[in-house]
Amino acid sequence: MHIPDGFLATPVWASLDILALPCVGFLARRAQRETEETKLPLLGVMGAFVFAAQMINFPVGPGTSGHLVGGALLAATLGPAPAAIVMTAILALQALVFQDGGILSLGANVFNMAIAGVLAGYFPYRMLAGSSGASRGSRNLALFLGGFLSVLVSACLALIQLLLSGVAMPGGVLGLSLGLFVVSAALEGAITVAVVNAIDRLNPTWIKAPVRQPRRAFAWIGMTAMLLVVGGVLVASAAPDGIQSLANQTGIASQTQALLAAPLAEYQVRGLNSEWLRKAAAGLCGLILVYVSCIGLERLLRRRTAPGA
Amino acid sequence: MHHVLVEQWSRGRSWLHRRDARAKLASLAVVLIAIGTIRIGAHVALAAYFALLLAATVAARLPVTSILLRAGTVLPFSGTFAVVSWLSGDPQRAIALVEKSYLSALAALILISTTPLPKLFAGLESLGVPRLINLVVQFLYRYLFVISEQAQHMRLASRCRGGGHGGFRAANQNRFQAAAGALAVLFARSYGRAEGVHRAMLARGFAGHFPLLAPARLSLADGGFFLSALAAAVLVRFVL
Repeated sequence: MHIPDGFLATPVWASLDILALPCVGFLARRAQRETEETKLPLLGVMGAFVFAAQMINFPVGPGTSGHLVGGALLAATLGPAPAAIVMTAILALQALVFQDGGILSLGANVFNMAIAGVLAGYFPYRMLAGSSGASRGSRNLALFLGGFLSVLVSACLALIQLLLSGVAMPGGVLGLSLGLFVVSAALEGAITVAVVNAIDRLNPTWIKAPVRQPRRAFAWIGMTAMLLVVGGVLVASAAPDGIQSLANQTGIASQTQALLAAPLAEYQVRGLNSEWLRKAAAGLCGLILVYVSCIGLERLLRRRTAPGA
Repeated sequence: MHHVLVEQWSRGRSWLHRRDARAKLASLAVVLIAIGTIRIGAHVALAAYFALLLAATVAARLPVTSILLRAGTVLPFSGTFAVVSWLSGDPQRAIALVEKSYLSALAALILISTTPLPKLFAGLESLGVPRLINLVVQFLYRYLFVISEQAQHMRLASRCRGGGHGGFRAANQNRFQAAAGALAVLFARSYGRAEGVHRAMLARGFAGHFPLLAPARLSLADGGFFLSALAAAVLVRFVL
């Protein structure tokens, strides 16, 4: 789900742009460290592969088919940071050249699909297939969960952002779209398992087995954060009318007319004058904080455990 | 490939085509922010932006109808949300969703149809986009059509072998596995191609970035273009 321009309220797209910038910068540096210069064309060609993979249809039932989205597959083959960079490049190209997704909302789309989506696809893989002796079954389970979560988390984040921006969605529509997301997430999980196993048969060295490091705790924290996102939307869909009317009454969007005149912080305070919205925004900020602190802690720990590296 | 058309448009020689990519990118950002932050129901101002963008299209000697139609690719998405918004009793927002998303897509399309991609990426890099991402995007674009064509060939080949037929459950499962196998083969070919590309790049002395035929220089006209775009966007935004 690529959010076009004109959908998100100014505080939502602006803060996500500001958030995505340092994240992408950090991931780019990390990806540059992890992949030798020899692999540079590989990242681009893999992006083209994910683009082209959409042409190959996977039959689901009579008359319906789906296709690969790719976040979890890339994370399992290239590693998380390069995968996030490839997804970012895909989204940037889609926004710039193909008018698929907005340019101001690129930060939101990158955050949903390239950062949160890829991490959600990677965490189960890291936790369940972490050791080299992990059984085939647990690796398959990890891949399925990775594909499932990467699609579901991206979609739920996009829904949260749209709801926060005051785009009205009645309970029925929200429930229906959640149902569709769950189905397509399960499909992505199944496709990821099938394709990774097929790649494994061709050349096992292409699948990156994650090395077990003392960072599992952070993977668990990240995982919990992902599940909270999904859970939050599920709870929200149980009482969507309240959210909708609140969003309409206090809609951040309708109150943010003067971006050019006022600093961002000011209208976040002005816009969020309802209890529920403030809570929701705080929740989203909390999640973002969890992500950022996960990344920061991970980095710190990495430095401490490997002072030479 | 449908995108080739935009690339042909981007090789025009109009005044807008000749402006520096950085000036155009900055102007696009200004216009997008102005459209993005405008209040719901500001139909006059949005119509004025439409008129400005239309004037730019005409000035760039781009095919107006095709541009207007192509910018409509965003409409299925925003239309769906607009219908939902309308039905849940917020017609003003529904109209705003369609207006804003269409105008934003139109603005981005005009930039991409007046700026050849190498110049666009060079402009992005000098505006501070990380080099790695910029390189990956360019590689992606270069090989997008190659790999897509390969995927199409594979799809055609699988159809010729009868891959598109059958409908029983067992057959369905086989087709699922066949599609997974096809993707794995496509993955392997892409991997191999990337290695070949890298060797060829080394042989040709790749120095870490794609060189431009002529270095981009900001001229007075570029500054004038950006300032007039800024003035027009701000004027419409705050006066109408």
